[in-house]
Amino acid sequence: MPGAIFIETLRRNWRQVLYWGLGLGLLGYYVQIIVPNVDALNEYAQLLATLPPVMLQMLGIDGAAAIAKPEGFIGLGFFTYALIVMIIYGVLSGMNITASEEDAGILDVLLSLPVPRWRLIVERFAAYVLITTGIAMAGFAGLIAGGSGTALPVNPARLLSGSLNLVPAVLLVIAFTACMAALTRRRALPITILFLVASYFIDFLASATTHALTDALSKLSFFTYYDAQNVMIQGVTVGNVAVLLAAALVLIAAALWFFQRRDIGG
Amino acid sequence: MAVIQTENLSKVYQTRNSPVQALDHLNLEVQAGEIFGYLGPNGAGKTTTIRLLLDLIRPTEGRATILGLDAQANSVELHRRIGFLPGELSLWKNLTGQEVVHFVGRVRGGVDAGYVRQLAERLQLDLTVRVRSYSSGNRRKLGLVLALMNQPELLILDEPTSGLDPLMQATFNEMMREVQREGRTVFLSSHVLSEVQAICDRVGILRHGELKAVERISSLTHAEFRWVTLRLRDTDHVASKLAGVPSVDDVEVNSDHIKLRLTGDFDPLLRAVQDTYIIDLHVHEPSLEEIFLAFYGEAR
Repeated sequence: MPGAIFIETLRRNWRQVLYWGLGLGLLGYYVQIIVPNVDALNEYAQLLATLPPVMLQMLGIDGAAAIAKPEGFIGLGFFTYALIVMIIYGVLSGMNITASEEDAGILDVLLSLPVPRWRLIVERFAAYVLITTGIAMAGFAGLIAGGSGTALPVNPARLLSGSLNLVPAVLLVIAFTACMAALTRRRALPITILFLVASYFIDFLASATTHALTDALSKLSFFTYYDAQNVMIQGVTVGNVAVLLAAALVLIAAALWFFQRRDIGG
Repeated sequence: MAVIQTENLSKVYQTRNSPVQALDHLNLEVQAGEIFGYLGPNGAGKTTTIRLLLDLIRPTEGRATILGLDAQANSVELHRRIGFLPGELSLWKNLTGQEVVHFVGRVRGGVDAGYVRQLAERLQLDLTVRVRSYSSGNRRKLGLVLALMNQPELLILDEPTSGLDPLMQATFNEMMREVQREGRTVFLSSHVLSEVQAICDRVGILRHGELKAVERISSLTHAEFRWVTLRLRDTDHVASKLAGVPSVDDVEVNSDHIKLRLTGDFDPLLRAVQDTYIIDLHVHEPSLEEIFLAFYGEAR
Protein backbone atom coordinates (compact mmCIF):
# COMPACT_ATOMS: atom_id res chain seq x y z
CA MET A 1 0.00 0.00 0.00
CA PRO A 2 1.51 3.38 -0.97
CA GLY A 3 2.50 5.40 2.09
CA ALA A 4 2.98 2.39 4.39
CA ILE A 5 6.76 2.77 4.47
CA PHE A 6 6.49 6.54 4.91
CA ILE A 7 4.18 6.11 7.91
CA GLU A 8 6.28 3.31 9.38
CA THR A 9 9.46 5.39 9.03
CA LEU A 10 7.76 8.31 10.82
CA ARG A 11 6.36 5.97 13.48
CA ARG A 12 9.76 4.45 14.19
CA ASN A 13 11.72 7.70 14.08
CA TRP A 14 9.45 10.35 15.59
CA ARG A 15 11.44 10.09 18.80
CA GLN A 16 14.41 11.51 16.87
CA VAL A 17 12.53 14.81 16.73
CA LEU A 18 12.51 14.66 20.53
CA TYR A 19 16.11 13.61 21.05
CA TRP A 20 17.85 15.63 18.35
CA GLY A 21 15.32 18.44 18.70
CA LEU A 22 15.88 18.62 22.43
CA GLY A 23 19.63 18.81 21.89
CA LEU A 24 19.29 21.48 19.26
CA GLY A 25 16.65 23.36 21.28
CA LEU A 26 18.90 23.40 24.35
CA LEU A 27 21.83 24.67 22.28
CA GLY A 28 19.56 27.41 20.88
CA TYR A 29 18.30 28.32 24.34
CA TYR A 30 21.84 28.41 25.71
CA VAL A 31 23.19 30.58 22.87
CA GLN A 32 20.29 33.02 23.27
CA ILE A 33 20.72 33.47 27.00
CA ILE A 34 24.48 34.06 26.68
CA VAL A 35 24.13 36.78 24.01
CA PRO A 36 25.91 39.64 25.77
CA ASN A 37 24.87 43.31 25.59
CA VAL A 38 25.69 45.53 22.57
CA ASP A 39 28.88 46.95 24.11
CA ALA A 40 30.19 43.51 24.93
CA LEU A 41 29.41 42.31 21.42
CA ASN A 42 31.35 45.27 19.97
CA GLU A 43 34.33 44.51 22.21
CA TYR A 44 34.12 40.86 21.18
CA ALA A 45 34.04 41.88 17.49
CA GLN A 46 37.06 44.18 17.97
CA LEU A 47 38.96 41.38 19.67
CA LEU A 48 38.14 38.97 16.83
CA ALA A 49 39.18 41.60 14.28
CA THR A 50 42.73 41.40 15.65
CA LEU A 51 42.92 37.70 14.77
CA PRO A 52 44.32 36.60 11.39
CA PRO A 53 41.51 36.05 8.82
CA VAL A 54 42.57 32.41 8.40
CA MET A 55 41.92 31.76 12.07
CA LEU A 56 38.49 33.39 11.84
CA GLN A 57 37.66 31.21 8.86
CA MET A 58 38.72 28.13 10.75
CA LEU A 59 36.27 29.11 13.49
CA GLY A 60 33.55 29.52 10.87
CA ILE A 61 33.41 33.31 11.22
CA ASP A 62 32.84 35.15 7.96
CA GLY A 63 33.68 38.59 9.28
CA ALA A 64 34.40 39.95 12.73
CA ALA A 65 31.99 42.88 12.21
CA ALA A 66 29.05 40.51 11.89
CA ILE A 67 29.60 39.33 15.45
CA ALA A 68 28.83 42.83 16.73
CA LYS A 69 25.17 42.17 15.99
CA PRO A 70 23.08 39.69 18.01
CA GLU A 71 21.96 38.04 14.73
CA GLY A 72 25.60 37.53 13.71
CA PHE A 73 26.46 36.14 17.11
CA ILE A 74 23.56 33.65 16.93
CA GLY A 75 24.48 32.81 13.35
CA LEU A 76 27.93 31.81 14.55
CA GLY A 77 27.11 30.49 18.03
CA PHE A 78 24.07 28.49 17.07
CA PHE A 79 23.57 27.92 13.36
CA THR A 80 27.19 27.08 12.49
CA TYR A 81 27.38 24.46 15.22
CA ALA A 82 23.79 23.31 14.72
CA LEU A 83 24.76 22.30 11.19
CA ILE A 84 27.62 20.18 12.50
CA VAL A 85 25.21 18.41 14.87
CA MET A 86 22.66 17.98 12.12
CA ILE A 87 25.26 16.62 9.69
CA ILE A 88 25.76 13.67 12.07
CA TYR A 89 22.01 13.15 12.12
CA GLY A 90 21.90 13.44 8.33
CA VAL A 91 24.56 10.78 7.78
CA LEU A 92 22.80 8.38 10.18
CA SER A 93 19.45 9.00 8.49
CA GLY A 94 20.95 8.57 5.02
CA MET A 95 22.36 5.20 6.10
CA ASN A 96 18.92 4.25 7.42
CA ILE A 97 17.27 4.69 4.02
CA THR A 98 18.69 1.40 2.69
CA ALA A 99 22.20 0.61 3.96
CA SER A 100 21.49 -0.29 7.60
CA GLU A 101 18.67 -2.71 6.74
CA GLU A 102 20.61 -4.16 3.85
CA ASP A 103 23.56 -4.92 6.10
CA ALA A 104 21.21 -6.47 8.67
CA GLY A 105 19.55 -8.62 5.98
CA ILE A 106 16.14 -7.03 6.62
CA LEU A 107 15.83 -5.70 3.07
CA ASP A 108 15.37 -9.27 1.82
CA VAL A 109 12.09 -9.41 3.72
CA LEU A 110 11.02 -5.87 2.85
CA LEU A 111 11.76 -6.15 -0.87
CA SER A 112 10.02 -9.54 -1.10
CA LEU A 113 6.83 -7.59 -0.36
CA PRO A 114 4.95 -5.74 -3.11
CA VAL A 115 7.14 -2.63 -2.81
CA PRO A 116 9.03 -1.21 -5.77
CA ARG A 117 12.61 -0.40 -4.85
CA TRP A 118 12.16 3.26 -5.81
CA ARG A 119 9.23 3.61 -3.41
CA LEU A 120 11.33 2.45 -0.49
CA ILE A 121 13.81 5.30 -1.06
CA VAL A 122 11.21 7.95 -1.92
CA GLU A 123 8.95 7.23 1.07
CA ARG A 124 11.87 7.00 3.51
CA PHE A 125 13.37 10.24 2.20
CA ALA A 126 9.99 11.99 2.42
CA ALA A 127 9.68 10.87 6.04
CA TYR A 128 13.15 12.22 6.82
CA VAL A 129 12.20 15.58 5.24
CA LEU A 130 9.46 15.87 7.86
CA ILE A 131 11.62 14.63 10.73
CA THR A 132 14.46 17.01 9.78
CA THR A 133 12.03 19.94 9.64
CA GLY A 134 10.67 18.91 13.03
CA ILE A 135 14.16 18.91 14.54
CA ALA A 136 14.93 22.32 13.00
CA MET A 137 11.67 23.66 14.48
CA ALA A 138 12.65 22.31 17.89
CA GLY A 139 15.87 24.31 17.57
CA PHE A 140 13.82 27.38 16.65
CA ALA A 141 11.63 26.82 19.71
CA GLY A 142 14.76 26.72 21.89
CA LEU A 143 15.98 30.01 20.38
CA ILE A 144 12.61 31.67 20.98
CA ALA A 145 12.45 30.35 24.53
CA GLY A 146 16.00 31.55 25.26
CA GLY A 147 15.36 34.91 23.56
CA SER A 148 12.35 35.69 25.73
CA GLY A 149 14.67 36.14 28.71
CA THR A 150 17.21 38.47 27.06
CA ALA A 151 17.23 42.23 26.64
CA LEU A 152 18.53 42.18 23.03
CA PRO A 153 15.78 41.98 20.43
CA VAL A 154 16.36 39.44 17.66
CA ASN A 155 13.83 39.29 14.87
CA PRO A 156 11.95 35.96 15.27
CA ALA A 157 11.47 35.82 11.49
CA ARG A 158 15.26 35.72 11.10
CA LEU A 159 15.50 32.96 13.67
CA LEU A 160 12.84 31.02 11.76
CA SER A 161 14.68 31.63 8.45
CA GLY A 162 17.94 30.48 10.00
CA SER A 163 16.28 27.37 11.42
CA LEU A 164 14.60 26.48 8.13
CA ASN A 165 17.89 27.15 6.33
CA LEU A 166 19.29 24.10 8.12
CA VAL A 167 16.83 21.80 6.37
CA PRO A 168 18.09 21.91 2.73
CA ALA A 169 21.71 21.42 3.84
CA VAL A 170 20.79 18.42 6.00
CA LEU A 171 18.60 16.96 3.25
CA LEU A 172 21.59 17.19 0.94
CA VAL A 173 23.68 15.19 3.43
CA ILE A 174 20.90 12.59 3.77
CA ALA A 175 20.54 12.36 -0.02
CA PHE A 176 24.29 12.09 -0.58
CA THR A 177 24.62 9.31 1.99
CA ALA A 178 21.58 7.48 0.57
CA CYS A 179 22.99 7.80 -2.94
CA MET A 180 26.37 6.42 -1.89
CA ALA A 181 24.62 3.58 -0.03
CA ALA A 182 22.60 2.77 -3.15
CA LEU A 183 25.77 2.78 -5.21
CA THR A 184 28.38 1.26 -2.91
CA ARG A 185 26.45 -0.06 0.10
CA ARG A 186 29.01 -0.52 2.92
CA ARG A 187 31.43 2.06 1.60
CA ALA A 188 28.80 4.81 1.88
CA LEU A 189 29.93 5.93 5.33
CA PRO A 190 33.64 6.57 4.59
CA ILE A 191 32.78 8.17 1.23
CA THR A 192 30.27 10.51 2.90
CA ILE A 193 32.76 11.47 5.61
CA LEU A 194 35.34 12.20 2.89
CA PHE A 195 32.77 14.31 1.03
CA LEU A 196 31.95 16.32 4.18
CA VAL A 197 35.59 16.92 5.11
CA ALA A 198 36.45 17.87 1.53
CA SER A 199 33.46 20.26 1.37
CA TYR A 200 34.55 21.92 4.59
CA PHE A 201 38.14 22.42 3.42
CA ILE A 202 37.10 23.68 -0.01
CA ASP A 203 34.85 26.24 1.69
CA PHE A 204 37.57 27.16 4.18
CA LEU A 205 40.22 27.59 1.48
CA ALA A 206 37.90 29.73 -0.63
CA SER A 207 37.16 31.98 2.36
CA ALA A 208 40.78 32.24 3.48
CA THR A 209 42.27 32.99 0.05
CA THR A 210 41.33 35.11 -2.94
CA HIS A 211 42.56 32.76 -5.65
CA ALA A 212 40.23 32.29 -8.62
CA LEU A 213 40.59 28.50 -8.44
CA THR A 214 39.54 28.23 -4.80
CA ASP A 215 36.68 30.60 -5.53
CA ALA A 216 35.53 28.37 -8.36
CA LEU A 217 35.98 25.25 -6.25
CA SER A 218 33.93 26.75 -3.44
CA LYS A 219 30.87 26.34 -5.65
CA LEU A 220 31.28 22.60 -5.14
CA SER A 221 31.07 22.84 -1.36
CA PHE A 222 27.61 22.70 0.13
CA PHE A 223 28.84 24.80 3.10
CA THR A 224 29.07 27.72 0.65
CA TYR A 225 25.32 27.57 0.10
CA TYR A 226 24.45 27.14 3.77
CA ASP A 227 26.04 30.46 4.87
CA ALA A 228 24.43 30.67 8.34
CA GLN A 229 25.68 34.12 9.37
CA ASN A 230 24.56 35.76 6.16
CA VAL A 231 21.09 34.23 6.52
CA MET A 232 20.78 35.67 10.02
CA ILE A 233 21.87 39.13 8.93
CA GLN A 234 20.40 39.47 5.43
CA GLY A 235 17.81 36.71 5.29
CA VAL A 236 17.58 33.56 3.21
CA THR A 237 19.18 33.57 -0.24
CA VAL A 238 16.65 31.77 -2.41
CA GLY A 239 19.32 30.77 -4.93
CA ASN A 240 21.38 29.01 -2.27
CA VAL A 241 18.37 27.09 -0.97
CA ALA A 242 17.39 26.16 -4.51
CA VAL A 243 20.89 24.84 -5.26
CA LEU A 244 20.90 22.69 -2.11
CA LEU A 245 17.39 21.32 -2.72
CA ALA A 246 18.09 20.65 -6.39
CA ALA A 247 21.32 18.84 -5.53
CA ALA A 248 19.45 16.74 -2.93
CA LEU A 249 16.79 15.81 -5.47
CA VAL A 250 19.39 14.90 -8.10
CA LEU A 251 21.20 12.71 -5.57
CA ILE A 252 17.95 10.97 -4.58
CA ALA A 253 17.15 10.41 -8.26
CA ALA A 254 20.62 8.93 -8.69
CA ALA A 255 20.05 6.74 -5.62
CA LEU A 256 16.85 5.39 -7.22
CA TRP A 257 18.68 4.68 -10.45
CA PHE A 258 21.57 2.84 -8.79
CA PHE A 259 19.40 0.93 -6.32
CA GLN A 260 17.00 -0.21 -9.03
CA ARG A 261 19.79 -1.82 -10.99
CA ARG A 262 21.91 -3.66 -8.51
CA ASP A 263 21.80 -6.87 -6.47
CA ILE A 264 20.45 -6.58 -2.95
CA GLY A 265 22.30 -7.92 0.08
CA GLY A 266 24.02 -11.27 -0.12
CA MET B 1 0.74 -25.09 -15.81
CA ALA B 2 4.28 -24.37 -14.63
CA VAL B 3 4.20 -21.98 -11.68
CA ILE B 4 7.96 -21.57 -11.77
CA GLN B 5 9.91 -21.88 -14.98
CA THR B 6 13.54 -21.00 -15.47
CA GLU B 7 15.45 -20.89 -18.73
CA ASN B 8 19.23 -21.05 -18.53
CA LEU B 9 19.07 -19.02 -15.35
CA SER B 10 22.65 -18.22 -14.34
CA LYS B 11 24.39 -16.08 -11.79
CA VAL B 12 28.06 -15.23 -11.53
CA TYR B 13 29.25 -13.31 -8.48
CA GLN B 14 32.21 -11.06 -9.00
CA THR B 15 34.52 -11.51 -6.03
CA ARG B 16 37.87 -9.88 -5.37
CA ASN B 17 39.80 -12.99 -6.40
CA SER B 18 37.80 -14.40 -9.30
CA PRO B 19 34.24 -14.71 -10.61
CA VAL B 20 32.18 -17.41 -8.89
CA GLN B 21 29.52 -19.30 -10.84
CA ALA B 22 26.80 -19.62 -8.21
CA LEU B 23 24.14 -20.90 -10.60
CA ASP B 24 24.83 -22.45 -13.97
CA HIS B 25 22.12 -22.50 -16.66
CA LEU B 26 19.27 -23.68 -14.48
CA ASN B 27 16.32 -25.10 -16.37
CA LEU B 28 13.57 -26.01 -13.95
CA GLU B 29 9.79 -26.33 -13.92
CA VAL B 30 7.60 -26.47 -10.85
CA GLN B 31 3.99 -27.38 -11.50
CA ALA B 32 0.92 -25.83 -9.90
CA GLY B 33 -0.21 -27.52 -6.71
CA GLU B 34 2.99 -29.42 -6.00
CA ILE B 35 5.37 -29.27 -3.10
CA PHE B 36 8.78 -29.09 -4.70
CA GLY B 37 11.92 -29.71 -2.67
CA TYR B 38 15.06 -27.97 -3.77
CA LEU B 39 17.89 -30.01 -2.35
CA GLY B 40 21.57 -29.37 -2.20
CA PRO B 41 24.45 -29.04 0.22
CA ASN B 42 25.34 -25.61 1.61
CA GLY B 43 26.75 -23.40 -1.13
CA ALA B 44 25.09 -25.39 -3.94
CA GLY B 45 23.13 -22.36 -5.21
CA LYS B 46 19.72 -22.85 -3.56
CA THR B 47 19.54 -19.42 -1.97
CA THR B 48 20.91 -17.79 -5.13
CA THR B 49 18.07 -19.40 -7.11
CA ILE B 50 15.49 -18.14 -4.62
CA ARG B 51 16.93 -14.61 -4.61
CA LEU B 52 16.83 -14.59 -8.41
CA LEU B 53 13.20 -15.75 -8.41
CA LEU B 54 12.34 -12.89 -6.05
CA ASP B 55 14.30 -10.33 -8.09
CA LEU B 56 16.52 -9.52 -5.13
CA ILE B 57 19.49 -10.23 -7.39
CA ARG B 58 19.70 -10.07 -11.16
CA PRO B 59 20.68 -12.96 -13.43
CA THR B 60 23.91 -12.89 -15.39
CA GLU B 61 22.10 -14.89 -18.06
CA GLY B 62 18.70 -16.47 -18.62
CA ARG B 63 15.32 -15.66 -17.17
CA ALA B 64 12.68 -16.88 -14.77
CA THR B 65 8.93 -16.88 -15.15
CA ILE B 66 6.62 -17.15 -12.17
CA LEU B 67 2.86 -17.61 -12.46
CA GLY B 68 3.27 -16.77 -16.13
CA LEU B 69 4.98 -13.43 -15.47
CA ASP B 70 8.59 -12.41 -15.91
CA ALA B 71 10.21 -12.52 -12.48
CA GLN B 72 12.18 -9.32 -13.02
CA ALA B 73 9.79 -7.14 -15.02
CA ASN B 74 6.75 -8.03 -12.89
CA SER B 75 8.42 -8.44 -9.51
CA VAL B 76 6.04 -6.14 -7.58
CA GLU B 77 2.93 -7.85 -8.95
CA LEU B 78 4.48 -11.25 -8.22
CA HIS B 79 5.43 -10.30 -4.68
CA ARG B 80 1.73 -9.73 -4.03
CA ARG B 81 1.15 -13.38 -4.90
CA ILE B 82 4.22 -14.93 -3.28
CA GLY B 83 4.95 -15.67 0.37
CA PHE B 84 8.66 -15.80 1.17
CA LEU B 85 10.70 -17.05 4.10
CA PRO B 86 14.43 -16.30 3.81
CA GLY B 87 17.03 -18.76 5.04
CA GLU B 88 18.51 -16.27 7.45
CA LEU B 89 15.57 -14.27 8.67
CA SER B 90 16.42 -10.81 9.97
CA LEU B 91 13.67 -8.52 11.23
CA TRP B 92 13.33 -5.25 13.10
CA LYS B 93 14.55 -6.21 16.57
CA ASN B 94 12.77 -3.41 18.43
CA LEU B 95 9.33 -4.34 17.13
CA THR B 96 7.04 -6.97 18.61
CA GLY B 97 5.87 -9.85 16.47
CA GLN B 98 2.47 -8.17 16.25
CA GLU B 99 3.99 -4.88 15.07
CA VAL B 100 5.98 -6.69 12.38
CA VAL B 101 2.80 -8.47 11.24
CA HIS B 102 0.90 -5.16 11.16
CA PHE B 103 3.61 -3.43 9.14
CA VAL B 104 3.92 -6.26 6.62
CA GLY B 105 0.12 -6.38 6.46
CA ARG B 106 -0.07 -2.65 5.73
CA VAL B 107 2.53 -2.94 2.97
CA ARG B 108 0.55 -5.83 1.51
CA GLY B 109 -2.58 -3.66 1.64
CA GLY B 110 -4.36 -5.42 4.47
CA VAL B 111 -4.32 -8.67 6.36
CA ASP B 112 -6.85 -11.07 7.86
CA ALA B 113 -6.19 -10.65 11.59
CA GLY B 114 -8.17 -13.78 12.44
CA TYR B 115 -6.06 -15.89 10.09
CA VAL B 116 -2.84 -14.45 11.56
CA ARG B 117 -4.07 -15.32 15.06
CA GLN B 118 -4.90 -18.82 13.90
CA LEU B 119 -1.43 -19.27 12.36
CA ALA B 120 0.27 -17.98 15.51
CA GLU B 121 -1.79 -20.34 17.67
CA ARG B 122 -0.96 -23.34 15.53
CA LEU B 123 2.73 -22.48 15.64
CA GLN B 124 2.49 -21.65 19.38
CA LEU B 125 3.96 -18.22 18.79
CA ASP B 126 3.45 -15.31 21.19
CA LEU B 127 3.19 -12.22 18.98
CA THR B 128 3.43 -9.77 21.89
CA VAL B 129 7.14 -10.47 22.35
CA ARG B 130 9.80 -8.24 20.81
CA VAL B 131 11.75 -9.79 17.92
CA ARG B 132 15.02 -9.40 19.80
CA SER B 133 13.68 -11.67 22.57
CA TYR B 134 12.58 -14.46 20.23
CA SER B 135 14.62 -17.65 20.08
CA SER B 136 15.80 -18.63 16.60
CA GLY B 137 12.94 -21.15 16.42
CA ASN B 138 10.34 -18.51 17.32
CA ARG B 139 11.84 -16.08 14.83
CA ARG B 140 11.43 -18.81 12.23
CA LYS B 141 7.79 -19.24 13.26
CA LEU B 142 7.22 -15.51 12.86
CA GLY B 143 8.77 -15.76 9.41
CA LEU B 144 6.33 -18.55 8.56
CA VAL B 145 3.40 -16.42 9.76
CA LEU B 146 4.62 -13.55 7.54
CA ALA B 147 5.00 -15.87 4.55
CA LEU B 148 1.61 -17.54 4.99
CA MET B 149 -0.56 -14.69 6.24
CA ASN B 150 -1.72 -13.39 2.86
CA GLN B 151 -2.51 -16.94 1.65
CA PRO B 152 -0.19 -16.64 -1.36
CA GLU B 153 -0.50 -18.68 -4.54
CA LEU B 154 3.17 -19.60 -4.27
CA LEU B 155 5.27 -20.12 -1.17
CA ILE B 156 9.03 -19.84 -1.52
CA LEU B 157 10.68 -21.09 1.65
CA ASP B 158 14.43 -21.23 2.19
CA GLU B 159 15.32 -23.88 4.78
CA PRO B 160 11.93 -23.45 6.48
CA THR B 161 12.29 -26.01 9.25
CA SER B 162 15.78 -25.10 10.42
CA GLY B 163 15.51 -24.29 14.12
CA LEU B 164 12.03 -25.80 14.53
CA ASP B 165 11.58 -28.60 17.07
CA PRO B 166 10.22 -31.97 15.80
CA LEU B 167 6.70 -31.18 17.00
CA MET B 168 6.68 -27.89 15.09
CA GLN B 169 8.17 -29.60 12.05
CA ALA B 170 5.15 -31.90 12.08
CA THR B 171 2.83 -28.87 12.32
CA PHE B 172 4.73 -27.23 9.47
CA ASN B 173 4.36 -30.36 7.32
CA GLU B 174 0.64 -30.41 8.05
CA MET B 175 0.32 -26.75 7.06
CA MET B 176 2.16 -27.35 3.81
CA ARG B 177 -0.17 -30.23 2.94
CA GLU B 178 -3.13 -27.93 3.59
CA VAL B 179 -1.60 -25.34 1.28
CA GLN B 180 -1.25 -28.04 -1.36
CA ARG B 181 -4.85 -29.23 -0.89
CA GLU B 182 -5.97 -25.67 -1.59
CA GLY B 183 -4.21 -25.92 -4.97
CA ARG B 184 -1.36 -23.63 -4.01
CA THR B 185 2.29 -24.36 -4.73
CA VAL B 186 5.27 -24.68 -2.39
CA PHE B 187 8.91 -24.36 -3.39
CA LEU B 188 11.15 -25.17 -0.47
CA SER B 189 14.87 -25.55 -0.19
CA SER B 190 16.67 -27.81 2.22
CA HIS B 191 19.92 -29.61 2.70
CA VAL B 192 18.28 -32.35 4.76
CA LEU B 193 16.70 -35.13 2.73
CA SER B 194 14.52 -36.48 5.55
CA GLU B 195 12.80 -33.07 5.82
CA VAL B 196 11.75 -32.97 2.21
CA GLN B 197 10.93 -36.68 2.12
CA ALA B 198 8.07 -36.08 4.51
CA ILE B 199 6.17 -33.61 2.33
CA CYS B 200 7.60 -33.14 -1.15
CA ASP B 201 6.28 -34.64 -4.36
CA ARG B 202 9.40 -33.99 -6.38
CA VAL B 203 12.88 -32.80 -5.64
CA GLY B 204 15.49 -30.99 -7.65
CA ILE B 205 19.07 -31.77 -6.68
CA LEU B 206 21.52 -28.97 -7.02
CA ARG B 207 25.27 -29.30 -6.77
CA HIS B 208 27.95 -26.70 -7.44
CA GLY B 209 25.32 -24.46 -9.04
CA GLU B 210 24.13 -27.12 -11.48
CA LEU B 211 20.81 -28.91 -11.39
CA LYS B 212 21.85 -32.54 -11.44
CA ALA B 213 18.44 -34.15 -11.43
CA VAL B 214 14.76 -33.70 -10.82
CA GLU B 215 13.23 -36.83 -9.35
CA ARG B 216 10.05 -37.97 -7.72
CA ILE B 217 10.80 -38.36 -4.04
CA SER B 218 9.90 -42.08 -4.18
CA SER B 219 12.68 -42.90 -6.66
CA LEU B 220 15.24 -41.00 -4.65
CA THR B 221 14.25 -42.89 -1.50
CA HIS B 222 15.19 -46.16 -3.21
CA ALA B 223 18.75 -45.00 -3.28
CA GLU B 224 18.68 -44.41 0.41
CA PHE B 225 21.04 -46.25 2.71
CA ARG B 226 22.22 -46.00 6.28
CA TRP B 227 25.57 -46.18 8.00
CA VAL B 228 25.46 -48.81 10.74
CA THR B 229 28.03 -49.16 13.51
CA LEU B 230 27.97 -52.35 15.57
CA ARG B 231 30.06 -52.53 18.74
CA LEU B 232 30.85 -56.18 19.26
CA ARG B 233 32.49 -58.24 22.01
CA ASP B 234 34.44 -60.13 19.33
CA THR B 235 34.97 -58.88 15.78
CA ASP B 236 36.85 -61.98 14.53
CA HIS B 237 35.32 -63.59 11.46
CA VAL B 238 32.55 -60.99 11.29
CA ALA B 239 33.76 -59.69 7.93
CA SER B 240 33.48 -63.14 6.39
CA LYS B 241 29.99 -63.57 7.82
CA LEU B 242 28.90 -60.28 6.27
CA ALA B 243 30.51 -60.94 2.91
CA GLY B 244 27.50 -62.77 1.59
CA VAL B 245 24.85 -60.36 2.83
CA PRO B 246 23.50 -58.58 -0.28
CA SER B 247 22.33 -55.41 1.46
CA VAL B 248 25.67 -54.82 3.19
CA ASP B 249 28.81 -53.27 1.75
CA ASP B 250 31.70 -50.97 2.59
CA VAL B 251 32.44 -53.06 5.71
CA GLU B 252 35.16 -51.61 7.88
CA VAL B 253 36.34 -53.82 10.77
CA ASN B 254 38.08 -52.38 13.85
CA SER B 255 39.18 -53.99 17.11
CA ASP B 256 35.84 -53.61 18.90
CA HIS B 257 33.41 -52.40 16.26
CA ILE B 258 32.48 -52.65 12.63
CA LYS B 259 31.07 -50.00 10.39
CA LEU B 260 29.07 -50.83 7.30
CA ARG B 261 26.67 -49.44 4.75
CA LEU B 262 23.22 -50.99 4.80
CA THR B 263 20.75 -50.69 1.94
CA GLY B 264 17.29 -52.10 2.59
CA ASP B 265 16.07 -54.12 5.57
CA PHE B 266 17.92 -54.86 8.80
CA ASP B 267 16.93 -58.51 9.02
CA PRO B 268 19.65 -60.03 6.76
CA LEU B 269 22.31 -58.10 8.67
CA LEU B 270 21.08 -59.18 12.11
CA ARG B 271 20.76 -62.80 11.02
CA ALA B 272 24.33 -62.73 9.71
CA VAL B 273 25.75 -61.59 13.06
CA GLN B 274 23.35 -63.54 15.31
CA ASP B 275 26.20 -65.64 16.78
CA THR B 276 28.09 -62.53 17.84
CA TYR B 277 27.41 -60.63 21.05
CA ILE B 278 26.30 -57.09 20.11
CA ILE B 279 27.13 -54.50 22.76
CA ASP B 280 25.74 -51.50 20.93
CA LEU B 281 24.24 -50.48 17.61
CA HIS B 282 24.21 -47.04 15.99
CA VAL B 283 22.43 -46.02 12.81
CA HIS B 284 23.46 -42.80 11.01
CA GLU B 285 21.49 -41.10 8.26
CA PRO B 286 23.68 -40.51 5.23
CA SER B 287 24.39 -36.98 4.19
CA LEU B 288 22.68 -35.60 1.12
CA GLU B 289 26.02 -35.65 -0.68
CA GLU B 290 26.42 -39.37 0.10
CA ILE B 291 22.92 -40.14 -1.15
CA PHE B 292 23.55 -38.11 -4.21
CA LEU B 293 26.78 -39.97 -4.94
CA ALA B 294 25.07 -43.30 -4.31
CA PHE B 295 22.24 -42.37 -6.65
CA TYR B 296 24.23 -40.87 -9.50
CA GLY B 297 27.76 -42.06 -8.90
CA GLU B 298 30.90 -39.98 -8.62
CA ALA B 299 31.09 -39.42 -12.34
CA ARG B 300 28.14 -37.06 -12.39
